[in-house]
Amino acid sequence: MAGPGMSGCECDEVGRDAVGAYLAAVAAQLTGPAPARAAITEELRDGLLETLATHRARGCTPQEATEAAIAEFGDPATVAAAFGPELAVVQARRVALGLLASGPLVGLAWLVAAAVNGWPPWRHQLAGLWLVLPLVGLALVVACPALGLTIAVTGRLGRRLGWVGRRASLPATAAVVAGLATVVADLTLLAMMAGQALTASGPDGWAPVAIAAGASLTRATLAGRATRRCLATRATLT
Amino acid sequence: MRAEVLKGHLDALLLATLAAGPRHGYAVKEALRAGSGGRFDLPTGTVYPALHRLERAGLIRGSWSVVNGRRRRSYRLTPSGRRALDQERSAWQEFSTAVTALLGGAPWPAQA
Repeated sequence: MAGPGMSGCECDEVGRDAVGAYLAAVAAQLTGPAPARAAITEELRDGLLETLATHRARGCTPQEATEAAIAEFGDPATVAAAFGPELAVVQARRVALGLLASGPLVGLAWLVAAAVNGWPPWRHQLAGLWLVLPLVGLALVVACPALGLTIAVTGRLGRRLGWVGRRASLPATAAVVAGLATVVADLTLLAMMAGQALTASGPDGWAPVAIAAGASLTRATLAGRATRRCLATRATLT
Repeated sequence: MRAEVLKGHLDALLLATLAAGPRHGYAVKEALRAGSGGRFDLPTGTVYPALHRLERAGLIRGSWSVVNGRRRRSYRLTPSGRRALDQERSAWQEFSTAVTALLGGAPWPAQA
């Protein structure tokens, strides 16, 4: 494998401390999935130590080599910002795949709960809390295309169109829209379920309703957190 | 030379540094510097994000190994990356030939 300074780093404690402080400064400004951030930090650590070793091999003192290596890497804020688009894409794809995987499960749980309890009361016309049911449909109409777009442009289609890493704000925005729509759908379903539970004619089959409500509550919580993270990574894009 | 000057050419240059075989991030940066006679001396930290972008674009593939007790990520060209590099080389040859033909009579760089 080509490359200078391949003999490894025998840097001193000062060098390692300085490298650690530099990496901490970069890591503090990275946003996105933890595994991706950890991999970036680990890769940068190897690069920094390699740079330091190269300067040592050229005759620098440990102090000089450390300062030169860190200067050569560049400002931590600049380095972290340069990873922004990549991390935003990774984050968006991760969120979209999570929503895609959970969607059928949560949907199936609610369909079972509805079937067991004869919901919604179509025959008697929708009234009361059931009037917000179309909001769930509207949320799905928004979420599905946003999910599809996110997954498409962060995958092979994005590669073919040359969008990967260049238009990171598009999948980041689409993932935020999908996440918000999902939260709206889940909260609407939970509100309707709560309304039903409070009426005299509560659900007949509690178990399926509890499962569906638990699934929706969990998904809404996770989707809300993921959406906030997507917004955070999106905010780092310039 | 500042990174902005390379805007639009950085991807091709990074791919070119990997044409001979796999390299890790710092080796790529050093290959850029050495291959350009020291003119393209980019901040090392900004080379890594560019490599990540090329990897996600499917032009290079990264893999981890352990060297001197440290985990190291090295990159190699994918078939798509090799094709992209060939295209970039052809396009650059065409462009530089045209520019040389137009500026050929004048001293280079242009004198004020």
